[in-house]
This record gives sequence, C-alpha cells and structure tokens, in this order.
Amino acid sequence: MGFTLVEDAIIYACSLGLLAYGINLIYICTKTFNFAHACMATWGLYVIFSGVAIFGVNPYYFLPLTFLFGALLGVICYACINGPLLRRQAAAVTLMMSTLGYDLILYSSIQIYNDFLTYEFGLYPRMISMRMYDFIMGGVRAGTVIAIVLTAVTLIPLHLLISKTKLGIAIRATVENPSLATLSGVKPDKVYLTAWIIGGGLACLGGAMISMVLIGTPVMGWLIIISVFASSIVGGLNTIYGGIMGGLIIGLAEYLGSYLLTAPLGSWILQYKPVISLVAMSIALIAFPRGLVEIGGVPLAEKLKKLITPSKREEI
Amino acid sequence: MIPPVVYLILSVLAEFAIFSIVTLSLNLEVGHTGIAQFGRVLAVEVGAFTVGGLSSRLLALILGFPAGVEYADPLRNYAIVDEINKALSGNALGLSLGLSYFVISLVLAAIFGALVGWVTSRPAIRLREAYLGISLLAYGEMLMWIAYNYQPLVGGTIAVGVPDPLRIIQVKGGPYGGLYRYVTITFIMLAIALLTYFFVERLVKSQFGRTLKMHRDCEIAASAYGLDLVRTRTMSLIVGSTLAALSGALYVFYAGACNASAFTRLTWTFWPWAYMMLGGIGNNLGILAGVLIFLTVRVLIVQYRFDLAVALRLPFDPIWLEYTIAGLAVILIVLFKPHGLIPEKPVTTLPRDRIKRILKSVGERMEGR
Repeated sequence: MGFTLVEDAIIYACSLGLLAYGINLIYICTKTFNFAHACMATWGLYVIFSGVAIFGVNPYYFLPLTFLFGALLGVICYACINGPLLRRQAAAVTLMMSTLGYDLILYSSIQIYNDFLTYEFGLYPRMISMRMYDFIMGGVRAGTVIAIVLTAVTLIPLHLLISKTKLGIAIRATVENPSLATLSGVKPDKVYLTAWIIGGGLACLGGAMISMVLIGTPVMGWLIIISVFASSIVGGLNTIYGGIMGGLIIGLAEYLGSYLLTAPLGSWILQYKPVISLVAMSIALIAFPRGLVEIGGVPLAEKLKKLITPSKREEI
Repeated sequence: MIPPVVYLILSVLAEFAIFSIVTLSLNLEVGHTGIAQFGRVLAVEVGAFTVGGLSSRLLALILGFPAGVEYADPLRNYAIVDEINKALSGNALGLSLGLSYFVISLVLAAIFGALVGWVTSRPAIRLREAYLGISLLAYGEMLMWIAYNYQPLVGGTIAVGVPDPLRIIQVKGGPYGGLYRYVTITFIMLAIALLTYFFVERLVKSQFGRTLKMHRDCEIAASAYGLDLVRTRTMSLIVGSTLAALSGALYVFYAGACNASAFTRLTWTFWPWAYMMLGGIGNNLGILAGVLIFLTVRVLIVQYRFDLAVALRLPFDPIWLEYTIAGLAVILIVLFKPHGLIPEKPVTTLPRDRIKRILKSVGERMEGR
C-alpha cells in the first residue's frame, strides 16, 4: 500500500516527539538520562505485533496495551535499579550507565522472545512491516491522525496533571529543589514512580507508532534512539514541551528536509537522513547549549502555566 | 592439527589487547578527568579509517597500484590488496616496506586521533554532563553512518581489505603460517597494550594526572587554584582519543579488513564502559582485570553457545545471554559494588620507602638543629 512521504514524515515526527518527551520527563524528575528508551520502544513494536499475530485485528487496538506494558517496564526499572540508586544519590553518569544495563537486558529479552515466537509459533518477527496494517480512513491515512491525536491526547492530561493536581505540584517542587520539597512533606518516591510510569508508557507507545513507518527489527530501537536523543537535546532536556518540539523539528528535517535536498543535490542525500538530524542537533547545540527552549519556550510555558493557575501558586 | 583451544586463547588475548587500550583511554577521560565520554567509538573509527582509507592507499600509490576511488571498489579491492601483499612478502625490501607501513599507519592514526580529540573537545567547553555525553555519542554515530554510506572511503557496506604487513610470516611459515602470523600480531598488540598501561599509569601519577583528578573531583576548587579547566579537558580528550585511535588501527591490522559497520557504539563505547565499571573506574590495573574477565565470559559464551543450548534445552539461541549477563553485570556492579572489583586507591607519586627515607632525612635534619 502506498502512503505519501508527508504522511510518513508526520507519523515519524510525532513518534519521535512522544519518545523524546518521555526521555525529558524522566530526566526532569529523576535526573536519569534513560538509555533503555531504545529497547522499550522496540518492545512497543513487539506488543502490537503479537497482538496482531494472535487476534488478527488492527494494530491500533493494542496501543493502550503498549502503554501499560511500557509502564510496567518503567516500574521494573524504577523498583529494581533506579530507585535504589536515587536513594543513594548516585552520580548522573552512574544513573545513565544503570539504564544502559537495563537496555541490554531488554534487548536480550526481545531477542529471546523473537526466538520463542519463531520456534513455538513459526512466526518470523525479525523483519516485519507494520505499515501494511495501516488503512485509509475518510481520505487520510489513519496512522497520521492517530499519531497527531496520540501526541495531543497524552500531552493534555500530562499538562493538566502537572499544572492542576497536587501530584503535579509535588513534581514541580521536586524538580526545582528536591531537598526543599522533601522538607515540605513531598514524597519524592511518588514523583519518581510517576515519571517512570508515564515515561515508560510513552516509550512503548512511541515505538509502536514509529514501527508504522519503519521496518520492524529487534534493533529498531537502537537505530532510532540517536534521533530521539537528538530531539530531546535540541528541544532542551529540562522541559517536556521541548521534547515534542525537538521531535517535530528533527523528524520533519529527516524526512522532508532530506527530500527537499534531493532537488539541488541529487538522490544520494537520502542515505544520509540520520546525519541531517545530527547536523541539526550540532548546530542547535552550538547556538543554544541548553536546547531550543532557551529562545522562548520556557518563558512561554511559564506564562501559560501562570495564566492557568494564578491563585494556586500563592496557596503553596 | 592445532587444537581449537589455541585459537580460543589467542582470540581472547588479541581482543584483550585491543579492548584494554580502548578501555584505558576511556578510563583516562571518564575515571580521571570526569568527562562523560559516550562517544569512544569516534576516535576508534578515526584510527581504523586512517588505516583502511589512507595509509593503505598511500602504500598502493607507492607500489604503483590504483589508489583512488577504485581502491575501495569491492570488486577490485581484494585483487589490489592481494597484489600488494605479494609485493610485501617477496623480499627483504618488501618486508622493510611492510614494517614501515605498519609503523607509519600507527603514527598517522595517532595524529588523526589527537586531531579528533581536539575537535571533540570544542563542544566539551560549553556543554555539560548529559548534553556533552549525548553529543559525543551522536558524533561517533555520524562518522559511522557516513563511512557506511559513502563507498569511496572504506568500501561502504562491504569491508575493504587492507595490506597485511605480517603476510611474510604466513607465506614463509608453511602449513602453520596462519597460526604464526596470528601469534605474532597478538603479541605485538599485547606489547602495545602493556606499553599503553605503563604510559597511562605514569601519566596519572604525574603532575598532569593530578590536575586531571582535581578537575574531576571539584571543578570550582580547581579553577580557584588557577587551573585552566578548558585546557585540562582538551588535553585529556586529546591523549585519550590518540590511544583509542591506535587501538582502532591495530584492530584493522588484526582483522585484515576495515568494515564500517563493525564500529558500532555497542562494541566500542558501551562494552568498554561495562569493562571499566566492572574493573573499577579510575584504577588502571582494575581496568585490565575487568577487560579480561568480561572478555573471557563473552568469548566462552560465543564459543560454547550451541553446547549450552543442547545441554540446558534452551528454547532460544544462547548468544543473547551475552547481553543479559553484560546488562546484569553492569546493574549489579552499579548497585552493589559501585567502585568496581579493584577500587581506586590514593596515588602515591613516589614509592613508599622513598617517602619514608625523605621523612627520615627531614627528621634528622630537624634534630640536628
């Protein structure tokens, strides 16, 4: 089934946004840069693949399940690895490396699961194309609509959670000053756990969505993760909205930017898609070492936050 | 017949030599200077591509073989390399040419490694922690991707062969020539690894090494004492990248070919990180121990995986257990032994007995007054 490049680009960019702001959320709350995002994303692919293989229905029905599965992976990571380290106040590099260990374990579990599917059910999950399950809905590709809606649907409750609820206040307090927040009676554990649940869920969801564009392999997560990191960094690690912004910039630059460059340069440029995103990242970092939000994203978000919750700030 | 265990031991020793150089260089930057170096693969690639893409072409040019775009053409490369190998192993002149080719390649790799170290130190001035680590990670990936897609560099998706300076051993050695060559290159690499170890050990005990540690332990205090932070960071990255580039060049000579897709961030950045964390961050002796232990387990799994699968009736390929074990090891070390197997000790710049002697002489002088 042929889908246009623009549709691919939109799905890809939105999925990158989902993955990147998951990373940012975990980073903001726990100061852990999550390397395991790569294999969490790959697990998202295999959750929907298994669903389709078992029930034979549309992969989009399994998106809530992928979120739950990702949340489970996040909880495991927090309970077994990240939590104890956070309690010990480990260094940032140590936290990063521990998630890398988790990533390797997840990778081997994906491969073992693939072997299991092959030996027990005769499936061939090592080279799959999920896009053949996509369909046209009212004249547009369903995937594009779902990608945009998912990004918005996950962002709005998260925004409400952070700006309206008590847990959100606790999250913001912990982010700004963990020790002061603890003194005021905020339990940081709850904040960390929430971050890992939402972040892990987003990782799986993003991985499932991105497999609608790419070829699904056990190393899919490892191939896309550099673009995801680039998105997070370009947007600025310290804000979740920056992750979405970075994802859209990097994703569209990779797909549409490389396509636009073929006219003056020739089709060879298409091979270098990831390089384009990395060059974009380098330029952005040289100009704005703390991410693009420096330009005005944070003040804008702060202003919006103040508009929404003018009185609550005084109550705290 | 040579028993297969000989090859097993040799492959462990060869990989130990290569990866101990990489991990020692990583330890210099991470363990001693405190830079989040997640782009170790970049300098290794630079060293490897120097041999695969530059010095081997220079040799071809000298010997009058095609050295341009056609050198990296997979259809012609092996024929050209074969001819060069014949020229190198023919007579004494060929042997001396081969050896000088080996040495010049290493020198060139070191120069380019130093250069790339300087280039990567530029973002390191402005960026910190996660930002810096991820940028370095991305640069390594960028070079690999370019080499993988741009065929004229090192053959793109297909490995490019490089002339073998030790081919003469294989040719003259008769039936066991291959083994003799393998043993020779392994011991050359081990010797270089040992030299690297002593070099790094001396370096961290020198004034420069103490500067690095001061930078790592407290940047504010270091700059308050007048230490040039940018210069320290730059020097550390240059020295580390030079060593890593050397190991990349050695790896290409060992493998006899340069394949862009072999230089993944997993093999050349994340495994060395795991070795370093197992051995003990900041301790060079611990690094050697960590590399040896980890490599032995990895090689044993790869070697005996089919026997393991049959014996345990595993419903999957046990090769994946390599990743499980590595991941578990990293997590367990981080959780329960954060300083590694051999923790870092305070470095004494002078031997202990000499310090005692100095103290004694100072005491005598004080008494004499």
